[in-house]
Amino acid sequence: MNAPRVPTGIAGLDEMLAGGLLPGTANLVEGAPGTGKSTLAMQFIEHGITACDEPGVILTFEEFPEHLIRDAANFGWDFAAHQAAGRLRVLQTSPEVTLADVRRTSGRLETLIEQIGARRVVVDSLSHFERLAADPVELRLLGFELINALKRMGLTAVLTRENPALLGEMREGDDDLAYVVDSYLLLRYVEIDSAVHKALLVLKQRGSAHATDIRQYAITSHGLEVRSRFAGTHGIMSGTPVMTHTEAFAAAFLTPGKK
Amino acid sequence: MADDQDDAAQLMDDIDPHLLDLLRTRINTFIKWDVVRFFHANPHTADTAENLARYIGRDVRVVEPELRQLAQDGVLEAETLADLRVYTLTADAGTVALLDSFMRACDDRQFRIKAIYHVIRSLRRERERP
Repeated sequence: MNAPRVPTGIAGLDEMLAGGLLPGTANLVEGAPGTGKSTLAMQFIEHGITACDEPGVILTFEEFPEHLIRDAANFGWDFAAHQAAGRLRVLQTSPEVTLADVRRTSGRLETLIEQIGARRVVVDSLSHFERLAADPVELRLLGFELINALKRMGLTAVLTRENPALLGEMREGDDDLAYVVDSYLLLRYVEIDSAVHKALLVLKQRGSAHATDIRQYAITSHGLEVRSRFAGTHGIMSGTPVMTHTEAFAAAFLTPGKK
Repeated sequence: MADDQDDAAQLMDDIDPHLLDLLRTRINTFIKWDVVRFFHANPHTADTAENLARYIGRDVRVVEPELRQLAQDGVLEAETLADLRVYTLTADAGTVALLDSFMRACDDRQFRIKAIYHVIRSLRRERERP
């Protein structure tokens, strides 16, 4: 029997996730600035409200709600109307206040979730928790605590995290949070033929099969679009892939105009 | 000269009496005006004085007493979470509607001039208080 899914509304991504995220899970989306983490998260909320009858909450630790609502409007998502209709709440707060709030009984967030019947939540971004603890073990515990609180409230969560590496090098050493979350999506920049492309990879999805290939994606006027896998190259996640032997041979000897 | 000043004061008082009272009693500093503008634009904000000061680009030492005053005056609500003092916009519908009227009125330049006049007068009165 297929487990129920929480579709993100991003066609290619839902296919990679075997239909969508699993209900009541915490899902980490990590990427460099401009890779579309927040757009993916907003699309998840928009799809929940408009297509799945699942109201949502966005916790933002940096971008002001008024700016986030404006950005959503650029993709045709009317977050202002969703808020007016009681289907969405965009909360500006901080990691320390959020943790203090979820630790108590019937806190502000929990009350608000009950009031609007929220089923989805976005936390943008978890990177701000890093200012609460320098020790990676303590940071992992704080992340674990937040994730468990969101699960206790019955929410399916998308948590964004910044990765300062634009190309190539990966986060290392302090990556304990990747073990705590249920799924881990990586958004990367890739340089091919002197042009920057975007690549998406599902690194893990606990309790479910998922695609393991690396897909191209674009940020369009209506949100993220996940497209075909990268063909004819390897080393995509290094940021600077090289052609496979077959493609290199074809480029060298079979492509007209090349020697 | 005194007559001119009276005329100017009369002109500046020519605004909605509810908004005039709001300016005289609650939004009577520019910091409070900044705070109210921020909460009006981001009504589901819940945060500490330190973070709120950061959001409006002001010094927390200046912002904190103003937040306390706004909470006392019913514009904001304050609660203690663990060891944090957290401020949110009031849930009182009447006050929210009044703040909404104020922010809408601020779209009009003539109103803004009058509002600035009243805030400056309040600040001057505060400074001259023995």
